[in-house]
Amino acid sequence: MTVSSNKQVDISIVVTISEKVPDLEKIYQEFSQKIISMNKSCEFIFVYYLDYSGLWDTLQNLQSKYGNIKIIKLRSVLCESVALSVGFENAKGKHILTLPVYFQISPDDIGKILQPLETGYDLITAWRYPRYDSFLNRMESKLFNWIVRKLTDIDLHDLGCGVTAMTKEVADSLDIYGDLFRFIPILANRLGYRVGEVKVSHFKRIKKSGIYGIGIYIRRLLDILTIVFLVKFTKKPLRFLGLIGSILFGLGFIISMQLTIYKFLGKAIADRPLLILGVLLMVLGIQLISMGLIGELIIFTHAKKIKEYNIERILG
Amino acid sequence: MLIDFKQISIVIPTYNEQKSIALLYISIKKALDTIGKKYEIIFVDDGSTDRTFDILEGFHKNDKALKIIKLRKNFGQTPAMSAGIDNARGDIIITMDADLQNDPEDIPKLIRKLDEGYDIVSGWRKDRKDKTITRKIPSKIANWLIGLMTGVRIHDYGCTLKAYRASVIKKMHLYSDMHRFLPALGAVIGAKITEIPVTHHPRMYGKSKYGISRTGKVLFDLLTIKLITQFSSQPLHMFGLIGVFALVIGTVFGIRSLQHYIFNIKEDFSIVFPSVSFLSFFLGFYLIGLGVLSELALKMSDFRISGLKPILTNNNGV
Repeated sequence: MTVSSNKQVDISIVVTISEKVPDLEKIYQEFSQKIISMNKSCEFIFVYYLDYSGLWDTLQNLQSKYGNIKIIKLRSVLCESVALSVGFENAKGKHILTLPVYFQISPDDIGKILQPLETGYDLITAWRYPRYDSFLNRMESKLFNWIVRKLTDIDLHDLGCGVTAMTKEVADSLDIYGDLFRFIPILANRLGYRVGEVKVSHFKRIKKSGIYGIGIYIRRLLDILTIVFLVKFTKKPLRFLGLIGSILFGLGFIISMQLTIYKFLGKAIADRPLLILGVLLMVLGIQLISMGLIGELIIFTHAKKIKEYNIERILG
Repeated sequence: MLIDFKQISIVIPTYNEQKSIALLYISIKKALDTIGKKYEIIFVDDGSTDRTFDILEGFHKNDKALKIIKLRKNFGQTPAMSAGIDNARGDIIITMDADLQNDPEDIPKLIRKLDEGYDIVSGWRKDRKDKTITRKIPSKIANWLIGLMTGVRIHDYGCTLKAYRASVIKKMHLYSDMHRFLPALGAVIGAKITEIPVTHHPRMYGKSKYGISRTGKVLFDLLTIKLITQFSSQPLHMFGLIGVFALVIGTVFGIRSLQHYIFNIKEDFSIVFPSVSFLSFFLGFYLIGLGVLSELALKMSDFRISGLKPILTNNNGV
């Protein structure tokens, strides 16, 4: 096979390697065969930030054997979001497909995911249905997706799948960092792109981890907070912090007023913990409001870089 | 004779206005043709789900002066407006609503006013044709509050029909719901602002699509505007003032606590005073710290204000 670097590529498949993979070649072969059978050209981009012995050789072998492969090694232990962004930057395809290194979906379903991009969708994410995971994992995932769905008002059911097809334009306009890679469909929707999901059958994973550490759950909760803040309040931090701050301040004020009245009625208030609570709530309220104001100031002074609209096309 | 400008840009954010759009287009053209200058009409289609874009596309085929910007989804009035402004080529930019409540006949008047040397001319719907209770009164209160907070007292911040010198509005960066506060923000960069009464027609088709949605939001926005317009050159002053106030309270209560301690008074206040004192000190230092942080945030950005005082001339032709 020849290296076709200058030719227009239809689909770039971005694979990030974050764990030890039993058989990279199998993944490459099955998916690329499927895409070739759809009469499309493709390139594979392997981005890895976890190095283990033999990985480099395996990838090199694949590259010299098949050609249409790019290998990107990140210098240090970075996160999934960075790996994906680098992958997107180096992708030449009209469409981009992100693929986890283990088989989440069957290669036969790839057509189902890519097809809607031809009919007006900008991003399609796979919804593994039915799921083959342990009961606990399924419930966790359900709960996570449900909370995100309720808080962001975007109707998506499986953010954890990792199989997402999108146009190059969407990939280029995404700005992801930290754990935001999970929320790519939501971020794309925010930018005004047409986002959809397709039900695919879940490829059973052989090795699966059951219960995660408590740290994982806390991180998921913080992820949810991040995305809600990003979706609803990024440009208006005061609306978020100010509201919470005002409520706390108000509560503290009421408590303190009540105690003041008690004092005037001649009752002792010093031995009541409520006194500390009241004053502390007022202090906390003022703190939150001031933090919101600082946020507003930062936003305002950087307003030049804020572009809140996304133009589809201009006539004239 | 009008000032030395080459082109007028009219920016109209549009969302589901298929019924009024044709009439609006025709009356704008009529009004602009009387001025006799080069112009462009920019419709920003803010994710309409009806036939608005198709109708506009039809007009576009026969009209070189018409520009249509189609946004990917409904982003809201401010983003739509800034999409139009960013793509406007004229040296005078006029914004207006698409719902026919503004009258294009007022455009020449606005331009003549700019000609007198103003940078921003705001329309004032002196004789508003809206329901009194639900729209007029909240808007009266809002305008009064914005005027009070920013010191730029004009009657009708909410009127979309406004004329700007392009050099001025392109310096102001619109985001969130900021378009409502544009004259106040203009004052921050030293723009000369005035207003003139404009005609207001009752709504003919459909319901109002943009408006002040929730009072809470507006109140917090006002606080932001206050910070930006009055303190954006020295935010430390705002936080610092409140911080120093908290420190003073802390000191007063601290002295009282000391008295209780020295004279070994054991009563209710012997516990209340120190607690309040400690917390006030804490808050005071915290706020001053935040103030320093805000100075830093300002310094690290490339934002600078001109330092000119706003000149407000209230010439409403009454």
